[in-house]
Amino acid sequence: MSDRFAARSQVAVVGYAHSPVRRHHDVPLGALALDTALAAIADAGLTKDDIDGFTTGSLLPTSGGHASVDGVSVVTANWLAEHLGVNPRFCAGFQGFGQIPGSVTMAVNALATGAADYVVLHRALHNPPRGRYHANPMTRAAGPMQWVAPQGYFGPLSMIALPYNEYLQRFSASRDAMAAVLVEARANGARIPWSYWHEKPITPQDYLDARVIAEPIGVLDCDIPVDGVAAFVLTRADRARDLPHKPVYVAGYAMGSPKRTRLPTHWPLDDIMEAGFEIRRRLEDATGVTVDVIDVPQLYDGFSPFVYFWLESLGLCPVGEAHRFVQEGIDAAAGGLPILSGGGALGNGRMHGVPQMLECYLQLSQRAGDRQLASATVGLACHSSPHFGGAVMYTAEPL
Amino acid sequence: MHKPVPVPDPTSEAYWAAAAEHRLALARCGHCGRLTHPPDVVCPHCLSTDPGFTFEPVDGRGTVRSWTVLRDSFLPGFAEDIPFVLVDVELDVQADLRLIGRLVDGPDTPLRLGDRVVTVFDARDDGPPVPAFSLDPTAEGAR
Repeated sequence: MSDRFAARSQVAVVGYAHSPVRRHHDVPLGALALDTALAAIADAGLTKDDIDGFTTGSLLPTSGGHASVDGVSVVTANWLAEHLGVNPRFCAGFQGFGQIPGSVTMAVNALATGAADYVVLHRALHNPPRGRYHANPMTRAAGPMQWVAPQGYFGPLSMIALPYNEYLQRFSASRDAMAAVLVEARANGARIPWSYWHEKPITPQDYLDARVIAEPIGVLDCDIPVDGVAAFVLTRADRARDLPHKPVYVAGYAMGSPKRTRLPTHWPLDDIMEAGFEIRRRLEDATGVTVDVIDVPQLYDGFSPFVYFWLESLGLCPVGEAHRFVQEGIDAAAGGLPILSGGGALGNGRMHGVPQMLECYLQLSQRAGDRQLASATVGLACHSSPHFGGAVMYTAEPL
Repeated sequence: MHKPVPVPDPTSEAYWAAAAEHRLALARCGHCGRLTHPPDVVCPHCLSTDPGFTFEPVDGRGTVRSWTVLRDSFLPGFAEDIPFVLVDVELDVQADLRLIGRLVDGPDTPLRLGDRVVTVFDARDDGPPVPAFSLDPTAEGAR
């Protein structure tokens, strides 16, 4: 099979660390990132002198015009390496929106080719201390913004509201159905010590009562902006066997991209779904593993409708059925498909694709503690919208 | 507090000049003849790097593909308009040619996918009128 990923099962995740997730930390983001990276390196049984590769996606995902200052509001791979006192052989940042799968592709490719032996992959997220996260004071709309901002179309809430309403109308679904997704995400997030929502589950009524911002998107359909850092250590499979924790192998990955020029932040439902179908085909071609055997499918949920879009485009339920499927099918504690067993972004805070990747690692390495699933052999970590993001498949044993 | 005022540039000045006369004018590629919005560096249809876009008036009728009712705004000048409706419209003039604009009929307007709309213009004190939409009163089944 010519499309099979040449580095399949050659690279493994061997350790991690996660900072507490808070609305605002009282230490600079860079300091939090350094402490978290050092903890991840120690968790992997290594020292910083072993690390010779760094990768991240450092985007500050706000439309509010907040400044990106390295070490303060973002932390690039170069900043982290320099401030750890490491002179790495490989150091690179991913420029797109699917920062976690994008960073993993760079780490895997570097390790498989010998460009690095031990890579720290981190993600540092920041919630600016002043002003609303997405509020923008623009009085003049220049460049791409001239096509949308004068009519009030701006920012990620309108962006996701349009395809979500397109979905609800097309399939005669009710926005109330999404309560099941929020209850599951928060129930699992409530069991995670570092989560912003630790010990704070919600009821369906809490969801229904929450403020609506851009119909049909309400405040609880959005992950909450936070300060938080996670770091992972990856190495080649042959080196991974000597380290303290059970390695979790990268089987392959697939990324999506938009096929058409659109207005800024205009994401029609069919653009999203088309890319999702393609990601599934690419993943199955790359790994030789079909999606039906994935027992830890962690779907991206930075905005709740992404859960429907990933469920359907990956073929985990029929198109148009996700709003029904989530009512009974996703309760991880009751043996349902564990799509949000790691709490996701809705259950942890705006850690982007970190909760999905981390849950795959924890479950497949048997480190999930009292959340450990009975069956955890193949994981999938999705991030972003399919047409701007991607997914990485992990396995507990090499393929 | 003023809403964001469009800043015309060489790629858009003909669009805003037409809007000032309450006409919708879109970019047509000089190479393949297809319309595109917004105009990009290359034509997204034929990938010409020298599309030589010319703006020409087009029929502003179209079909609602989605909508959202905004109950909060993240831009200056919209607070007094909340709640307001934005519609995602596919224009009749070319398949998959989409515009987003305000629906001027009000937030309680009942909407369905496939509803027919016409382009109208949202007057502003401090800039060109901004293309918007209104339900087409002449459409079959119009309410």
